[in-house]
Amino acid sequence: MLVTGSSRGIGRASALYLAKNGYDLVLHCNKNTKMANDLKDEIVSLGRKARVLQFDISNREECKNVLSEDIEKNGLYYGVVLNAGIAKDNVFPVMEDREWDSVLNTNLGGFYNVLKPLVMEMISQRMKGRIITMSSVSGLMGNRGQVNYSASKAGIIGATKALAQELAKRGITVNCIAPGCIETDMTSELPVDEVKKMIPMKRFGKPQEVASLVNYLMSEDAAYITGQVISVNGGLYQ
Amino acid sequence: MSKQYSREEIYNKLAEILVDEFEISQDLVKPEANLFEDLELDSIDAVDLAVKLQFFTDKKISPENFKQIRTVDDVVNAIEELIK
Repeated sequence: MLVTGSSRGIGRASALYLAKNGYDLVLHCNKNTKMANDLKDEIVSLGRKARVLQFDISNREECKNVLSEDIEKNGLYYGVVLNAGIAKDNVFPVMEDREWDSVLNTNLGGFYNVLKPLVMEMISQRMKGRIITMSSVSGLMGNRGQVNYSASKAGIIGATKALAQELAKRGITVNCIAPGCIETDMTSELPVDEVKKMIPMKRFGKPQEVASLVNYLMSEDAAYITGQVISVNGGLYQ
Repeated sequence: MSKQYSREEIYNKLAEILVDEFEISQDLVKPEANLFEDLELDSIDAVDLAVKLQFFTDKKISPENFKQIRTVDDVVNAIEELIK
């Protein structure tokens, strides 16, 4: 299983949850090698195998080189969790070019850059598998100050649904998780009390509450679920 | 240089790939069978088939070469042309 962006947040929780359920992990980080290696040690201590790949998901060439080399050496992944993503919030009228570009190139570009080196190989080797993408409540409802992030996360939904159709008869499911406000570094700057008022459950979600869905979608029990967007948001958006 | 294969050898290998790799019933594989309608392949299968047919040639077969292909016989013709 490859989990991108697994040095912290939802990615870290997902990798741990999967490891506890018996999967071996390929961890990924962009810059946080120390945190990714710490997680690797933790997973190894659980009796599972783990290794760390470092690359920038917005860099197409780097993705292709690192992933192609890894699967050639170690074999294809059964599951891929496209979790890595960034946010650069700003209201649209003053949004800077680089804020738009980096968020689109990382979040939506990452979908292409990471999956492209893997999918044809999965098809060619007749591998069944699981692809899970990470959208956001912002991609569903749109969120002030997040025109770039909302666009990238809505794009992931369209890409997920289209790829699900292409891969369905090959036994590869492609589903999308749309988390709401989850306790991670990404939401640490939010005005927590204000935001909580808008959430019907009046609390933030825990990374493990997303990870448990990742784990379910990876399982054999979820074989007939594909092309779906499943929200984990405490009722924030229906 | 590519090894020379006879038309029959190409057809037999292609039939073997279609049956073994694409799980198509042997009875359906005929020269006139349409890949997409009779054998129910899709455009991704066509790309995959092009990759697997590299067995015949040292050259990389581009999916572009497969644009006009409809039947099993068309594939045999294309391979024949490529390894000439």
